Amino acid sequence: MTARRLSLLLALALVPLTLASLLWDPAMLQSVAARDPGLARTILLELRLPRTGLALLIGASLGLGGAAMQGLLRNPLASPDVLGPSTGASLGAVIAGYFLGGGTLAVAAGGISGALLALALLLALAGPAATTATLVLAGVAISALGGALVNLALSLAPSPYALYDVMFWLLGSLADRSLPQLAVAAPIIIIAGGVLLAQRHSLDSLALGEDVATSLGVQVPRLRWTIVVATGVMVGAGVAVAGGIGFIGLIVPHLVRPLVGNRPGAALVPSALGGAALLLAADLAVRVPVNGQELKLGVLTALIGAPFFLWLVVRGR
Amino acid sequence: MKLLAALLSMLAASAAAAPARVASLNLCSDELALRLAAPGQLVSVSRLGADPDESLLADRARGLSVNRGRVTDVVALAPDLVLTSGGDPNAAATARRLGIKTLELQEPHTLDDVRTNVRRVALALGRVAAGEAVVAKIDAATSVTPAHVVPALLVGGGGLTIAPDGLAAHWLVHAGLIQQSVPRGAISLERLLSNPPQVIVFSRYRPGQVSTNQGWLSHPALAALPANVRRIETDGRAWTCLGPLLAGEITRLRHVMAQ
Repeated sequence: MTARRLSLLLALALVPLTLASLLWDPAMLQSVAARDPGLARTILLELRLPRTGLALLIGASLGLGGAAMQGLLRNPLASPDVLGPSTGASLGAVIAGYFLGGGTLAVAAGGISGALLALALLLALAGPAATTATLVLAGVAISALGGALVNLALSLAPSPYALYDVMFWLLGSLADRSLPQLAVAAPIIIIAGGVLLAQRHSLDSLALGEDVATSLGVQVPRLRWTIVVATGVMVGAGVAVAGGIGFIGLIVPHLVRPLVGNRPGAALVPSALGGAALLLAADLAVRVPVNGQELKLGVLTALIGAPFFLWLVVRGR
Repeated sequence: MKLLAALLSMLAASAAAAPARVASLNLCSDELALRLAAPGQLVSVSRLGADPDESLLADRARGLSVNRGRVTDVVALAPDLVLTSGGDPNAAATARRLGIKTLELQEPHTLDDVRTNVRRVALALGRVAAGEAVVAKIDAATSVTPAHVVPALLVGGGGLTIAPDGLAAHWLVHAGLIQQSVPRGAISLERLLSNPPQVIVFSRYRPGQVSTNQGWLSHPALAALPANVRRIETDGRAWTCLGPLLAGEITRLRHVMAQ
């Protein structure tokens, strides 16, 4: 299958998912619209639209970020949630929100700084083309440290709700997001995502090795920095409004890459679309109560993702 | 004559028994101690009780020593009575081991439990009259149930709400508001907007601070609540302990509802 055909299929799959997310529980929407059309419009515009838009954008950013990192590091385990930028972003957002008292913009800036710091730390620890073991070890250490610091920061935070927020920052949620949050996250994710997509030919060359890529005219150090910064910015902006959502960046590129001839550059667009579809589907699933309880988004993506991770390990042995 | 002498000696004994240096270790015992203690009788409250963001009585705690809820924090003050309400489960036992008289308050589940807690603290402080005055205020606030009660929801940050059969709801009834049942104790904005109760009581707590939950209370979509839904504000600090502080708040809410 060509990358183009796969992208088209995934884009087509997004249509019903988006409609389902916007028009969820149509009976309720209809009864509200019959009673009070303005209220129904508010529910659609100010609750459903940001929720759906953020699921599409953040899902796409995670899939794209995962594919770009896996391509750059030439490592199948690279992804924002395994290697630390997601928890780094949570930490940055928590510090900006609780201790510096910032609004949505400041929290986004905090998330981006946290993600970039975590990535810089990762590259400093593991080096640019580290072995899988070193890279994953460094990433796990950074993730664990970031998670512990999020817990520490929230324990010290002067807010009675801080402990409730631990779950949000570590497991993520798209419920009750607002249009201003979408307006902050969307341009950042779209611009950084565009920058990443522009690197797809260079990434394909890099798959042949650094020397070959250099001889093909790719400036490898610049490519590396571009991808790291764009991924950090994208992931940070997403985490700042939706918390840390795991595993999408890990799974999606793996599912996509074999279908596009294992070319990392060609996997970028389908990974973004696949990530959007997966997060949108997961966010639909969490709206269905299980045993009277609604699952957390991060729990659901981990339930799908962790077995996949195990399968990767077993297959790699 | 003999009887009078006996009475006098009993009075003297009870006066002698009244503790002179009282330390309270938790927010909810702070509330009772700050209301009931004689001037100078209370020497220490918890840091939450002294924090104006947490306690409506924080101004009365000015100048008192502040503890972090542990007996070791107050031992140096040589208290002759320690009050606890929850918090460190070993605090009461530790205080007793050190030979300090200790009063452990139970979490109230009914309005009668609230009265009992007031009376226990008043007795232990030798301030029975002050205790009866506070109980009278609770009685005054709760003796009236408005003839017209309406379905309502008390919601705090993140859509967290209160149990319809809990103590907070028992208080709320006396403002003429019947707390509705919400699955899982939290309501989503979508549910609140699509199926609102007649009255929503927004409980604001530390409103200036950023957290995902506090952001919920200022979500722009809340502006679309139908005009016939009444929106009332309440101070979240009054609802933490569900103690005598609510007597004033419930009376205020009842007057707001009557308007």
